[in-house]
Amino acid sequence: MTQKEVVRQHLPLFEEQGRSASVPDDVGRNLHYLPDMPEEDPYQAGHRTCAGCGPAIQYRWVLKAAGQNTVVAGPTGCMYVANATYMSTPYTVPWAHTQIASGGSFTSGMAAAYESMIRKGKYEGEYPNILVMAGDGSAADIGIGSISGALYRNHDALFICYDNECYANTGIQTSPTTPYGGSTTFTPPGKVIPEGKKLPPKNLAKMMSEGHPNCYVATTTVGYTLDLMNKTRKGLNHRGAAFLHCYTPCQKGWVYQTPMTVELGRRVVESGLFPVWEYDPAERKYEYFIPPEQRPVVDYLAMQGRFGHMHPEHVALMQVAANRNWEDMGADVPKRLRELEDPEAHKHLKEEEYSLPVNRGIGA
Amino acid sequence: MSVKGTKIPPKLRLPLAGVTPAPTEEAGQVLFPTGNFRFFRPVYKDKTPPCNHACPTGEKIQKYLDFVKHERFLDGYLTIMEDNPMPSVTGRVCYHPCEGACNRKDHDEPIGIRNVERFLGDFGLELADEPIKETLPATNGKHIAVVGSGPGGLASAYHLRRLGYRVTILEALSKPGGMLRGGIPHWHLPENVLNAEVTKIEDLGGIEIKCNTRVGTDVSWQDLKDYDAAFLALGQDVGRKLPVEGNDLRGVTGGLEFVREAGFNKPVKVGKKVIVVGGGNTASDTARSALRLGAEEVTIVSLEGPDELLIVPEDLEQAKAEGVEFKTNSACARILGEDGVVTGAVLCEAHLSKDEEGKVTPRMNPDTEYEVTCDNVMIAIGQVQHLDWIPDHLIEGGLLKTDEYGRLEDNIFAGGDIVRGPAMVVDALGDGKRAASNIDKVLKTADLAPDAPVEVMPYERLNTSYFPHAPRIEAPLTPPEERIRDQEIEVTLAYTQEQAIAEADRCMSCGVCNGCDNCYIVCPDVSVMRDTRENGAYSIRTKYCKGCLVCVQECPTGCLEKVPELDFEDESDVTRMETAFSVYDGSHAEQSIPIAKLQEDAIAEYDAARRRRTGATSGNGKRR
Repeated sequence: MTQKEVVRQHLPLFEEQGRSASVPDDVGRNLHYLPDMPEEDPYQAGHRTCAGCGPAIQYRWVLKAAGQNTVVAGPTGCMYVANATYMSTPYTVPWAHTQIASGGSFTSGMAAAYESMIRKGKYEGEYPNILVMAGDGSAADIGIGSISGALYRNHDALFICYDNECYANTGIQTSPTTPYGGSTTFTPPGKVIPEGKKLPPKNLAKMMSEGHPNCYVATTTVGYTLDLMNKTRKGLNHRGAAFLHCYTPCQKGWVYQTPMTVELGRRVVESGLFPVWEYDPAERKYEYFIPPEQRPVVDYLAMQGRFGHMHPEHVALMQVAANRNWEDMGADVPKRLRELEDPEAHKHLKEEEYSLPVNRGIGA
Repeated sequence: MSVKGTKIPPKLRLPLAGVTPAPTEEAGQVLFPTGNFRFFRPVYKDKTPPCNHACPTGEKIQKYLDFVKHERFLDGYLTIMEDNPMPSVTGRVCYHPCEGACNRKDHDEPIGIRNVERFLGDFGLELADEPIKETLPATNGKHIAVVGSGPGGLASAYHLRRLGYRVTILEALSKPGGMLRGGIPHWHLPENVLNAEVTKIEDLGGIEIKCNTRVGTDVSWQDLKDYDAAFLALGQDVGRKLPVEGNDLRGVTGGLEFVREAGFNKPVKVGKKVIVVGGGNTASDTARSALRLGAEEVTIVSLEGPDELLIVPEDLEQAKAEGVEFKTNSACARILGEDGVVTGAVLCEAHLSKDEEGKVTPRMNPDTEYEVTCDNVMIAIGQVQHLDWIPDHLIEGGLLKTDEYGRLEDNIFAGGDIVRGPAMVVDALGDGKRAASNIDKVLKTADLAPDAPVEVMPYERLNTSYFPHAPRIEAPLTPPEERIRDQEIEVTLAYTQEQAIAEADRCMSCGVCNGCDNCYIVCPDVSVMRDTRENGAYSIRTKYCKGCLVCVQECPTGCLEKVPELDFEDESDVTRMETAFSVYDGSHAEQSIPIAKLQEDAIAEYDAARRRRTGATSGNGKRR
């Protein structure tokens, strides 16, 4: 039997610098101020996520970037529960729920099936974008084995971890990516353990890139629209497995004002607590994004209630971790950030005055 | 569950699979309107950008910068022309209060608004046909007199013509332009540009400029009253005299008179050493013109200290670069002469002092007197106007006394320098615009009313994360050694098209939606709908908006605001909160009925198909 060729999609990248630069009207400026932004939204309104949900913003951007020829899997997690109640989902593309531990195996099965069906002529059309969006509980904890296996076998699919740094679905329990000092129902701060969570978070994306060197691996946050959408497209265009670690704030778990979701996505990068980078499997090199502004970690921590119990020595430890991150990224650590490694330089976080972003009110 | 794109073989189809409706891009998930989560609703409310607010003519600066950014130069030009008939003039000579107010000055440097305006003005002058001409209404038979063809007079004539009036401008001098021709040197405003702008207004039709017609001698106060209305914009074109000994010697001239002679291309003679007395912009213009007309050494003598000079900073810098000397905190005590001709002056130290009432008076120190030699002394210490033909009760302190709407009496309005004292060109333009609209109201017997208060957008309320720092593009200058050779060489040069676009692109669009799509893309609930990319053309899909306000927070310009949901009463788009969590009433119950109906229909259909296939009387064993 003659085998048919598997035709793959190629998604063009967005011009990141073109964001506010002049684009003549005749190339569609009238319709798309964000350059080449697709009109379609495969993730639609009516989902029951909380107001200001970070993962919902990330889902929308990822699916907007992926387009209609896409198949999505979603392991158990808050984005499965909130999106797929009452037998209906907000997706206009095929979507399937999997068990929390089997996001990787299910998705590799889908990818293998599409490939073989196309080869055998049983499916006509281009190879679809195959995506799985797993929470941090699934991708970094319970289901890390199956995702690692899928990456290792190099199935042509994009594995996304939307990281809201807790098990939000079951009511905010600690997960391996919960940061040091984060308060959850499993790590409550008290007299014995005043900092809440004692362990530093798992470096999931580095595990994936170091452990599966043929994969395209990147990290991003909801603070940077075009970066997230471009990394999605790069991951989908990559022939083989790709892994994207995406920082997505959870308003209920982190206790912040709902309008600040996107601002947090920027501040976590500017404070050095979530390095944004891209791993090029061909060169085996990391390319780090150095934000235009470097902030003290308090600017980020003090926006969230989950850190409100932190003592000066805990904040100083966070600053040390952030400065190590800057060093890893090859960025200069300004003197003022070095000085903040000293606990004397801090107050109890609930008394901390910090540079708030422009406040336009509390939402929802 | 959506089954779009997958193929489920018939034998595997279950009654419930795929029966719930898939969401559509237009309607979302019809069964789950999440709008009842909402306490606050985002609302688009455009504010006034500080630049627009600072401009006396109220130019919509943010709007035309946005047009320039998108290379829509004609739209940009037409936007300016709504408020200001001569952008090529103001683009060169305006002291740009807009740039002083620009919020970008707190971010990095203010935007070069004046240079972009000049770019648009010159773009407009190069058009073969003036596009405004087509938009003019026919004249309505009423005839208005405008006294003075300076910026105030021309602006009022232009705006009155656009409102349908016939206008006659009475100009005392031989050429129209007023202070633009007689007070602003050619190296600042080239004659051909001024002529083109005046011609542009004259060519609109319905505007007649009568030169060599001096009001007071050729036309009387009573003649003015015969018109349907009149606007007085005479300006102040008589230089004030220096009250010292020797002020009538040959070689002592008024700075303004000197600049006017040069502006009207009359032959003027300047000696080698010139002293200019005064500390304002006229002094600077006089001194710099003298340099261009042959003087070798020009000194400005001013009562003001080095930091108190009333010369705009850029002009001061340019004057210093051209070699103008400054003797600040000094005064001219006497002018010396031989045979009736100036030979020198006696200067002394002096300063301005404020008395208790805030009145500023010069204090001279006679002990410090010293002599200098010079060939000319030019006086630029202020201007007045002859007003003996106007009834006395309308004059106060040498200026015309108007009410808050610029009305002198009945149908006679006044504006510009004759009301304000020496002020900016753009103030006169603004007065002309205001007079035109007020005359229109008076002639239509409508009441005059003050402008509605506006909300000006402060820098603190912008979301500056979206504005990367970018330096201002300075307009190129002709090098000093070259530009002082001739008074026809323009000092400040124009932006290129690329520079104009890049500079307009720095605009932060304070408080006004510029369609940046940020709200559209950050919405987690796909509830900011975008139809066309025009200002304010987004709408909020209230059926789904959960009121998280991420869009409000992320709006770079601050035109989005939150409004409490209870302020809205239109039932078509309100889903009240109290029903959201109640299972047995309200929206949950309403939602559950159609879901149950869908299931029942699907089961009935399945049963019917099964009956057809098997002949059975009942589908699933149950009696229905």
